[in-house]
Amino acid sequence: MLNRDGGLLRGTLDVLILKALSWGPRHGYAVAEWIKVITDGDVLVEEGPLYTALHRLEKNGWLTAEWGYSENNRRAKYYELSRTGRQELREEVSSWERYSRAIGKALAAAAPAQA
Amino acid sequence: MRRVFRLPFGRTRIVREVDDELAFHLEMRMQRLVALGMTPEAARQEALRQFGNVDSVRDDCVIMDEQRERAMSRADLFGELRQNIVYALRTLRRNPGFTAVVVCALALGIGANTAIFTLIDAVVVRGLPVSHPEQLIAVGDTRRVGSLSQGAPRTDLLSYPLYKDIRNNPSLFTGVLASGRAGRLDIHVDGSAGAVEHARGRFVSDNYFSVLGVPALIGRVFTGTEDQVPGSAPVATISYGYWTSRFHNDSTVVGKTILINDIRIAIIGVAPETFSGEIVGSTNDIWLPLSMHDVLNPNQRILTDRSAGWLLLLGRAAPGVTLAQTKARLMPFIVRDIVTNAPGTIGQAFAASDPKPFISDGSRGFSAVRATFQAPLFTLMCGVVLLLCIICANVANLLLARAVARGKEMAVRLALGADRGRLVRQLLTESVVLAGLGTAVGLLLAWWGSNALLVLASDGSAIRLDLSLDMRVMVFTLVVSFSAVLLFGLVPALRASRVELATTMRSNSQSVAGSALGHRGQRVPLGKLLIAGQVALSVVLLVGAAMLVHSLRNVQTQDVGLDRDHLLVVDVDVNAHGYGGPRLNALAHALRDRVATLPGVRAVAFSENGIFSGTDSGTNLQLPGFAMRTQDDSSVAYDAVSPDYVRSIGGRLIDGRDIAAGDESQPERVAVVNESLAKFYFPNERAVGKFLHFQDSLAVQIVGVIADTRDHSLDAKPDRRVYFSYVHTDTLIDYPSSLSLEVRTTGDPAALAEQVRRAVVAVDPSLPINNITPLTTLMSQAIREERLVAKLASGFGVLALLLASIGLYGVMTYAISRRTGEIGLRVALGAQRSDVVNMVLFDALRLVGAGMFVGLALALVSTRLLQTQLHDVGAIDPVSIAVAVMVLAASAVIAVLVPALRASRVSPIVALRAE
Repeated sequence: MLNRDGGLLRGTLDVLILKALSWGPRHGYAVAEWIKVITDGDVLVEEGPLYTALHRLEKNGWLTAEWGYSENNRRAKYYELSRTGRQELREEVSSWERYSRAIGKALAAAAPAQA
Repeated sequence: MRRVFRLPFGRTRIVREVDDELAFHLEMRMQRLVALGMTPEAARQEALRQFGNVDSVRDDCVIMDEQRERAMSRADLFGELRQNIVYALRTLRRNPGFTAVVVCALALGIGANTAIFTLIDAVVVRGLPVSHPEQLIAVGDTRRVGSLSQGAPRTDLLSYPLYKDIRNNPSLFTGVLASGRAGRLDIHVDGSAGAVEHARGRFVSDNYFSVLGVPALIGRVFTGTEDQVPGSAPVATISYGYWTSRFHNDSTVVGKTILINDIRIAIIGVAPETFSGEIVGSTNDIWLPLSMHDVLNPNQRILTDRSAGWLLLLGRAAPGVTLAQTKARLMPFIVRDIVTNAPGTIGQAFAASDPKPFISDGSRGFSAVRATFQAPLFTLMCGVVLLLCIICANVANLLLARAVARGKEMAVRLALGADRGRLVRQLLTESVVLAGLGTAVGLLLAWWGSNALLVLASDGSAIRLDLSLDMRVMVFTLVVSFSAVLLFGLVPALRASRVELATTMRSNSQSVAGSALGHRGQRVPLGKLLIAGQVALSVVLLVGAAMLVHSLRNVQTQDVGLDRDHLLVVDVDVNAHGYGGPRLNALAHALRDRVATLPGVRAVAFSENGIFSGTDSGTNLQLPGFAMRTQDDSSVAYDAVSPDYVRSIGGRLIDGRDIAAGDESQPERVAVVNESLAKFYFPNERAVGKFLHFQDSLAVQIVGVIADTRDHSLDAKPDRRVYFSYVHTDTLIDYPSSLSLEVRTTGDPAALAEQVRRAVVAVDPSLPINNITPLTTLMSQAIREERLVAKLASGFGVLALLLASIGLYGVMTYAISRRTGEIGLRVALGAQRSDVVNMVLFDALRLVGAGMFVGLALALVSTRLLQTQLHDVGAIDPVSIAVAVMVLAASAVIAVLVPALRASRVSPIVALRAE
């Protein structure tokens, strides 16, 4: 269903990462697990691009990162939404909803009446 | 979740962090897969497969992290810079007195440097405002922009026929233009009824604009056909400046006909605003075709005269052709051309005399101003650089004193863990802000100063230069202010941030002072070192200035061989009304006789060139039995003069007699020669009675020898000179083409000027009078660059002296205030007031003496650079050195005496209480 177009995939992945972090700091593996589970593995075919995306979002200033210790006491890099990241997520969510409503309406339309 | 401290950044850390992060992911995935029942090896393979290309992801992450950190550190730096600037501005605003003094001093130094550099840029460095100036090659002596020399072949000025030969040989240049003097132009813009006007004009070849690549702004420029038939193109192109000032930018000027020297000339176009001509230092109003010269100057026939040198050439070399190649091809061509065309044996003699080539880089055009002012400008540049160094030392001292005052603040901040580098940066920012303010004010000063200098330098002649602050000047100013910051800011900043915590925190301000003005273990305190340095540089400046002034005095007071204080020089324009030949002789006599009847006039002479008129004549002579080794050996200067010339100008006859009135009616030609000529050609014989030969045949007998006179230049060695009888010159060289009267008065010559003018008008009311000027004025105009340099150098010297004295006063006051306790103790123990004064004086003068010693050594070396500009002043000039040392010592004593006397009045009780 979602095509493999880079732009669309990247936008989708970004918004999923922002969503994954909206409940608090997580490390990369946890984000990957959450996305895999929630999308049945459809979005994240390979896990590598997730890290590229995380570092890009950090560079953009939407995420901040800090090193901490994981549940099993291993050193891990934790990501957290910044204020601008949270704002970005809100905008992405509302534009996604507008978009899907519009597409949904279009796909559900009946055949136009003959003139 | 526990947090760990962020590590210092750097590439290796970034790579390690990315590796750690990815390794953590792969390990978590493996554990998960093993938990699902895979073997560890299979789990590892599966984890890697699910991850994708590890290496490319790793590289992308590293790149993005690096970009992020670079941006962050930039932002950090900018933040600090902004904070430093805000802090610096606040500090400076809180000390308005200090800020004003420093900014003014720096503005003065930077402004003076920029002003002089602006002039150097405009006169010496900048290329002509034409397309590809670097391709241009100048032929002829580029200094002789307004000259006409007749009578002998030469290479410093070219004749019109020679120019045409060069132009018709296309292998030499892709295009070559010629330009020559136009002399005085009498112009009627609106018919002959209106008043006569004058404009600056030049005769230029018809390809002038096309070779330079200058299009017309409106109308058209010369098309390259104007010179084909001489006299056939009565047209003119005018400059933008003249179009604006005279025609108010009226575009209907194209096609308008004006009268120039009573000839109708049509204006065909206006040159663009950016084009100021090929002569640096003057601007031109009107360009006329070369071939119109003889039409506009009916007295002169120089278009066909191969012995009339008056043109300078600018050729455009073909791409890839070097100056050396052009020289190698052109010089033999010119010599061959002269040999082929000169009459008789003159050509061979010329070629045999090994003529000097005048072929040089033409990218900067021609300039008489450059030749005159180049060396003086570089001298002044050295002066202002010294001045700036002195100012920097002064400012450094002020900053140092302030660093002392802020010692506690620094100590507190260092104690609280502030980074020393950060403190230095902050103090340096203050210096940069000060320099920035100084530079801004300095640029204003420079703009004003360079224009003022130009006015000063223009005394008696109009020098026009484009003094806009271009890129080069801006870069220069930035470099200067940056170096100034390094000079005055860095050391105090380093010193201030190196306060000794322990002593300073004890809150005794005197120990902080120690860090600036010398503390234990440091032999010479920095503040005193700076003072000694200022004294040394001031000595150099003062000695240099004194030498220049001394040289100027020598020039001004030297024996000039004539009665300089009682001569009035009258320059009349005989060309304008077609006086020439016998009519001119009659006019000269009539004018002389008329002026001679005026009360207060002792004697009147007339001559062709006059004295200090700016025009001189030269020719070559032949002397049977005298072997001429070079072309120069046969060249002499000459003037055509009236009877009793020597007596009338107050000259001294060494031998023989003056040209007498009786000689004018005799067929025998006689001449008076100067001492230089007599000694050169007749070293062991009496010159009187000998014959000189001109133009291959004509003989002139020497009847008298006059002591050398300085009649055209005060600083050059006098030329060998012949004085012919005015009425006989036509049979020797040519008719005189100009006339000036030398009126010797009994009193102040300036007072007689108006009566002389009326006398001239009475003889011919329509005769234009160019100038009636006392000789002393003409002489002082002739040495205007010497006067300018001496004046400015003295100014810089006085400024340096003032700065050094102020610095000395400041440092000594401070040093004494630190020793108040000690002095009080001495007084309490019975020291006399004079002992205290002596002690303080000795202390200060030791400092000054050391500075002077170093300064004198420097001066001895550096004033050698001045040597070429000095007149009768030795490389070591005891007079100048004595003056400099005495002036400096006197001001030092005054600067120190005030604090010393104050110290001697210290009451022991007050002093001891202060401890």
